[in-house]
Amino acid sequence: MKKLIIVIAIALAPVLSFAQGPFDKFDGNDEVTSVVVTKKMFQMMGNVKHQESQEFLNLIKKLNNLRVFTTQNKAVAADMRNVANAYIKSAGLEELLRVNDKNQNVRIMVKSGATETRVKELLMFIEGANGKAQETVLLSLTGDFDLNEVSALTEKMNLPGGKELNKVKSPKK
Amino acid sequence: MKAIVSCLVALMVFSCTKEPSIQKYFVQKTEDPNFVALDLSPSFLNVNEAGLSADSKKALESFEKMNILAMRLSEDNKEAYKKERAEVNTILKNEQYQELMHFNGKGGGASIKFVGDENNIEEFILFADSKDLGFAVIRVLGENMTPTDIMNFVDVLKQSNFDSDQLKPLQDVMKGI
Repeated sequence: MKKLIIVIAIALAPVLSFAQGPFDKFDGNDEVTSVVVTKKMFQMMGNVKHQESQEFLNLIKKLNNLRVFTTQNKAVAADMRNVANAYIKSAGLEELLRVNDKNQNVRIMVKSGATETRVKELLMFIEGANGKAQETVLLSLTGDFDLNEVSALTEKMNLPGGKELNKVKSPKK
Repeated sequence: MKAIVSCLVALMVFSCTKEPSIQKYFVQKTEDPNFVALDLSPSFLNVNEAGLSADSKKALESFEKMNILAMRLSEDNKEAYKKERAEVNTILKNEQYQELMHFNGKGGGASIKFVGDENNIEEFILFADSKDLGFAVIRVLGENMTPTDIMNFVDVLKQSNFDSDQLKPLQDVMKGI
């Protein structure tokens, strides 16, 4: 019986990993700007023999998916917050950092892997980003990577929240 | 028995020809007056090969050609436009087109897909879609093209002195904004 369950689980794994993520409904919404980068892209970039820093290339091979959703619409932003909160609970993410700075509110959540700094998923939720634009940003990064490496990525790809991530990094060193 | 075999064969042939591909779509639409089609071979870049590094040379060699197909959205072709765009979207959903990344925003979206595997990219497909202007599909075909080649190809482009007049049909599409 146990064997059967394992077999089914293995058979289903690829199907499930291709299943729609909890945030995919924001993709294609007119009020949302979304950017999705797939594992294939990261693998490909990791194979490039170029003068990019080794740290960056090492990290990139360990990434699965990057999704960034940005909106200025209040209703959609509220929905994003609800979906994110529900997901944080159901997926068992732990809060890593919360920064309330002026009107900006940044939360970073992670799903820990084998060791403390090893991360399977990083979720960042920012409200009031970009000053006057008052954007809400939801960023999800999956893979199996080290927290200390992520700042290389946020810098390279000009992602939001890089400053906050660096704060996470420094006290641990 | 014979009937079953011939049925199977017929089915196989049928399913092969039925398989929609972006290549077939290009072939179909090249003559269509609603579309602008443009084929570019490496020679349009007009690169002085003597001045290239070995890496750039290899990148240039791996690049076979580029096909561009664009449809402009206008007041009179809204229905036809919708249909064509939906068709392209359906074709690109086929598993052989593996997604690298996509972007969606208020004004439209874009996606980058490829055919092949990470170390031998047969075909790159860029699909760009603007809600006001129209859509364009760009295919870059290669032979033994690797990700490194693509990075190096950017350097080749910087050194090229291609004649921008060749892109004039495309500029004409974009005019009247």
